[in-house]
Amino acid sequence: MAQIPNLDNSPLNLKSLREQSQRDLVKILKDIRGKKCLVIEPKLGGSLSLIIQTSLLKEYGIELRHLSAEPVQTDCTKVVYLVPSQRDLMKFISSHVHNDISKGLQREYYIYFVPRREIQCERILEEEKVHHLMTIGEYPLYVVPLDEDILSFELDLAFKECQVDGDTGSLWCIAKAIHKLESSFGVIPNVRAKGKASVLVADILSRMQTEEPVNSSDMAVPEINTLVLIDREVDMVTPMCSQLTYEGLLDEFLHINNGSVELDASIMGGQQEGKKMKVPLNSSDKLFKEIRDLNFEVVTQVLRQKATSMKQDYTEMTTTNQSVSELKDFVKKLNSLPEMTRHINLAQHLSTFTSKPSFLAKLDMEHTIIEASSYESCFEYIEEMIQKQEPLVNVLRLLILFSVTNSGLPKKQFDYLRRELLHSYGFEHMATLNNLEKAGLFKKQESKSNWLTVKRALQLVVEDTDTANPNDIAYVFSGYAPLSIRLVQHAVRSGWRPMEEMLKLLPGPHTETKKAGFASSASFDTLQAASNGVEKIADGRRSLVLVVFVGGVTFAEISALRFLSAQEGMAYDVIIGTTKIVNGSTLAESFFQIYG
Amino acid sequence: LLWKESWELGKNPMASKGSPLHGPRIKLIEQAQKLFLDTKEHTFESKAAEEHAKLLRIQHELEVSTKQAIFVDSSISDTIRTCIVLGNHRAAMKVKTEFKVSEKRWYWLKVFALATIRDWDALEKF
Repeated sequence: MAQIPNLDNSPLNLKSLREQSQRDLVKILKDIRGKKCLVIEPKLGGSLSLIIQTSLLKEYGIELRHLSAEPVQTDCTKVVYLVPSQRDLMKFISSHVHNDISKGLQREYYIYFVPRREIQCERILEEEKVHHLMTIGEYPLYVVPLDEDILSFELDLAFKECQVDGDTGSLWCIAKAIHKLESSFGVIPNVRAKGKASVLVADILSRMQTEEPVNSSDMAVPEINTLVLIDREVDMVTPMCSQLTYEGLLDEFLHINNGSVELDASIMGGQQEGKKMKVPLNSSDKLFKEIRDLNFEVVTQVLRQKATSMKQDYTEMTTTNQSVSELKDFVKKLNSLPEMTRHINLAQHLSTFTSKPSFLAKLDMEHTIIEASSYESCFEYIEEMIQKQEPLVNVLRLLILFSVTNSGLPKKQFDYLRRELLHSYGFEHMATLNNLEKAGLFKKQESKSNWLTVKRALQLVVEDTDTANPNDIAYVFSGYAPLSIRLVQHAVRSGWRPMEEMLKLLPGPHTETKKAGFASSASFDTLQAASNGVEKIADGRRSLVLVVFVGGVTFAEISALRFLSAQEGMAYDVIIGTTKIVNGSTLAESFFQIYG
Repeated sequence: LLWKESWELGKNPMASKGSPLHGPRIKLIEQAQKLFLDTKEHTFESKAAEEHAKLLRIQHELEVSTKQAIFVDSSISDTIRTCIVLGNHRAAMKVKTEFKVSEKRWYWLKVFALATIRDWDALEKF
């Protein structure tokens, strides 16, 4: 199965989006005549693999290289760099050029910035005296479709940049990405934002709309009806909890990267030990589509059921005489066999992690913290983790969860834990702690926590969750309903107005705008009516909601959103946009900072 | 003022990473400590810097006395562990009292360290 997901079943024509990006890239490369060497920044390479197949690039006579500090080894006289606008990368490139000059090599250099060029980068090239040797361009890749319903803006560090460095450059890119979507699918009439960064994105977006109006005459009805912008800052609780859906667990333990996991071939039933293999995970895999959003407890049951029914079919097949059409059915079923083995292998591998007592203890502790029932025992648990020098990321996840739900720790305990952390993990983590404090994730208590009020008002803790037949999004965390998704649920159903009081308890402002003067402005009411189950939308299509997470989203949250849109009486489809797919560990790691 | 402080904070670990010579490095950290002292809200940072400098000194001494370059740039907990693993309990005790390591953490470290060298007898007695 190809790693690039086929986007056939997408509620939005994402395929055209991808093809556009593909064409843009090919055009850039075609315009540079002759043989060339394409040097790609490794992370960017990952995103590009979702856009274009490497074999296609080779057809154009292109040598592929990953960008690193090492000089480029190639016979080509033309070198094309495809890089994000990062200052440190400019140093690499200029050192490459200097290296070539010292060897007397004459080459033509091209730099294409993704998604846009930045003055500060070009300044560095000027300082290094290589700017005049470069042909500089842009490859405007703002959106990468990860799957039928997920778009990524591939801005890994957006959250940390906004929260710690006060760098809002990524917000412009988000707005631009949404604006790009609008130019293909029509202006989104309803916009709701919560959180500081989200409101900024909404502002930039509306400015873009006036500066560069989308030609709406050729589109009668905009395809996307509502845009909900949620700031990661608003809900830092959810990502710090261990995800319990199949896909979420895969990400927690094996790190899903650009829609695939890399693991040891022996796990997947391969012969050679130690060889790595990539397993693609996207909705082109029908079985995966079926089980990815389920609670992991249920996944094993489903897999077992499928295996038994297949065995039954097989025995029937060998014992009785079958008609040709029955034979055909059977063979069809056999075709799903590789998918079955794949997921049985994966699930088995996962259960080696989930059955560990330490994992269960951690889950227990997360729930205790969310319940906010026993402050002392949580504090002691975390203290012990630090003293045992457990991996710093794991400690920080729980610590952030603890600090956020308590809106900080009392000064004495805050200083005590900070001291223990520095003693156990080294003083170089001072900068990490400072980052966390700046972002408000681990800080001194200044006011009483309102977590209990929030928890109660939004029914975040649900007793007796039936993971097999869930009736609420709380199933994704076996009892905790993600705050972010509760907000989306309310935003889509009724807008912000009925819950103003509630929203004020959460960080950041909120806004709600509705664009008047569009032929489609009535469709908001239609959406409301439809979601109440009273009236279906005239053309029979479900209306679309674009939910954008500024600062990243977890797989568990995506599962919860899919669950919502699949509910009866919810007449809308959801498309998710995110700066990046994250989990608690990747978020916590982005705050690590060690100078050197 | 705050800006100066956080810049200094950045300088502190940066300086401690790069330079191979311990003399100037410790001085830099002490400088940072004084700067943190200038404002009231940075007492924690100042104390940490003070301890960092002290740790580096002790680690340096340990490296000289054991002739092994394995101490500098490890954390306090790691230093204690290494001492116990090497069987140097006196040095471990010294680091413990020097930094007022709590009994709880001390026990964890000792248990882990003794387990690494499979010194089950000592573990039993302890």
